[in-house]
Amino acid sequence: MKILLVEDDQPLAQGLAASLEDAGLLVEIAGDGRTADFLITTERYDAVILDLGLPDGNGAQWLSGWREQGIELPVLILTARERWSDKAAGFSAGADDYVTKPFETAEILFRLRALVRRAHGHAHPVIRIGDISLDTHSAQVTRAGMPVSLTAQEFRLLSHLVHAAPRVVSRAELTEHVYDGDTEPDSNVIDVQVSRLRRKLGSRSIETLRGRGYRMVSDNTAS
Amino acid sequence: MISADKLRRLPIATRMLASALVLTVLILPAAGALLSWNFREAVNTAFNERLESLLNVVIAGVSYDVRQDTLVTNRQLGDSRFDRVFSGWYWQVRDEGERVLTSRSLWDQRLAISHEPGMAFRTIIGPRDKQLRLLERDIRLPNLDEVLHVQVAASLDEVEAQVARFQTLLWLSLATLGGLLIVLTGLQIRWGLAPLRRIEQSLKAVEQGRQPAIETNLPRELARLADAINTVLDRDQRLMERGRTAAGNLAHALKTPVAVLGTLVERLPQEQQQAMAAELKRLDEAVRHHLARASAAGPVALGAEQELIVVLKPVVEGVRRLAGRRGLEFHSELNSGLRVRIDAQDLQEIVGNLLENAINWAKSFINLTGTVEGGWLVLSVSDDGPGMSPETRQQALSRGGKLDEAKSGSGLGLSIVTELVELHGGELRLDDSPEGGLRAEVILPLAQLRSGG
Repeated sequence: MKILLVEDDQPLAQGLAASLEDAGLLVEIAGDGRTADFLITTERYDAVILDLGLPDGNGAQWLSGWREQGIELPVLILTARERWSDKAAGFSAGADDYVTKPFETAEILFRLRALVRRAHGHAHPVIRIGDISLDTHSAQVTRAGMPVSLTAQEFRLLSHLVHAAPRVVSRAELTEHVYDGDTEPDSNVIDVQVSRLRRKLGSRSIETLRGRGYRMVSDNTAS
Repeated sequence: MISADKLRRLPIATRMLASALVLTVLILPAAGALLSWNFREAVNTAFNERLESLLNVVIAGVSYDVRQDTLVTNRQLGDSRFDRVFSGWYWQVRDEGERVLTSRSLWDQRLAISHEPGMAFRTIIGPRDKQLRLLERDIRLPNLDEVLHVQVAASLDEVEAQVARFQTLLWLSLATLGGLLIVLTGLQIRWGLAPLRRIEQSLKAVEQGRQPAIETNLPRELARLADAINTVLDRDQRLMERGRTAAGNLAHALKTPVAVLGTLVERLPQEQQQAMAAELKRLDEAVRHHLARASAAGPVALGAEQELIVVLKPVVEGVRRLAGRRGLEFHSELNSGLRVRIDAQDLQEIVGNLLENAINWAKSFINLTGTVEGGWLVLSVSDDGPGMSPETRQQALSRGGKLDEAKSGSGLGLSIVTELVELHGGELRLDDSPEGGLRAEVILPLAQLRSGG
């Protein structure tokens, strides 16, 4: 899961980003609305954490601008403004959820995961494909009820495939959502990680469609 | 007795009307009495002059017939009343002896003689016990040695009748005049005080939020007053806005560093984390609590009357979106046409916090209803969450109750609602919802509200 964190307060942005990265998320930071606007229109993210008090205008105004452009990205408002008149302004601009400062990282994670899951059309926190299930709350993966241990990178890759299923996910999309923008992976890395996931989850759990990408499939039906 | 304090608070119109009434009641009767007295004097004088001229006619007409030794008259007085028996109009000429000549009206009666020298008016009781005014003069005739007492008397009835007629007319006119004066004074007061009434109505309109400022299209002396009131209202509004903004800014300024500390604390080893997290939580709660208080407008704000649905629309829409994202159903049932005069932000805060609390606990749905019952606006929010035990409810309603350690953003919600509701003279009640969760019911007095439409 790749997140854009729009927050002008440097210490807060870095502290929150570090906590989120510890939880296995990819986080990019934008310090103002203009940078965020540029990143959102050029990069792919799974969700945005948006501070309302930005140096170059109210976050709600940037948000309604994005919504007008048809950007349907889930947006979690992060605000110190607790009055409902402020919150309501955020919602009418198109926010999906909000967390007030000060916050607990666990809550932001919880809200983000729920937003991303719902954005992919999954109402239930546990997504099942065949005998593989992914608990979006606790970030746990089980195969036939047995926990599977994954690295952060592997979890991100799997999580994206699971959320997207049964859609085919292109290699470009995976590159954008799963890997840090600075360390662009060569195509080999994805292949290697996919085969590692296949080893842990069953050889037929991830299907390769030549020239198109990867897709999660129900192992049982494939066999 | 009217106390001095009550007198000071007597309405201006009453004061003016009372003073006009006093003037009318004192001056008109005095003028009446004076006029009446003067009229009576004039009538009396005229009556006396007539008696005098009648006396002169009698004197001029009387003569002594030596041959028959009697008094004779050769003049008619030209007034038939002297010929009608006991008509009240008499004359008499008499000497000390038996010689006497009278008007026919005196018949067999005689008028008493005073023997006083000169001419004098007297009031006597004449025939048939009538009060008469009598003028007497002593004369001598040629050929007769004795003094003749010539008298003319007339009933005072005529004077009294004239005076009575005049008085009737006078008092009738004066009463009419008095009535007219009072009515005119009333009209004058109405017209004179109309600007004051306008300013009063304007003030009422401002209080009820139908008008943002007091009308200044008034007479000069009141226009200044209205301007002064408007200035105060405006400053009040600005100060309140500034206070809210300042409180918000302060909270905003504090919260970001607290949030930074929070993220730093989360990275500390577990044992160090706890104490610091607790302190940070306390700091946050203090900020939130006092921010909520400072930014509440309370019932003193002269807010405009608005439709409940319009006031709550942003909150309801926000919560609807939020509920959708969290997979909850949200039913909102607000009567349209229900108008409220509570500060919009306060009302949004009350309902928003209740809904937020419900969202954080609900399993599948939340309900919002707004109705009027008796003199109260009743806002009810219910959910199908785990609900609350009676002890927990008690705790939740107390100041700064910390119920919800697990879910941030909702611990203070209910206590903030309690404070806001109490500020507006209402009440927050918690009980079980029919669906098994919590039902929070806020009642607010309708005295601040008016149902319209």
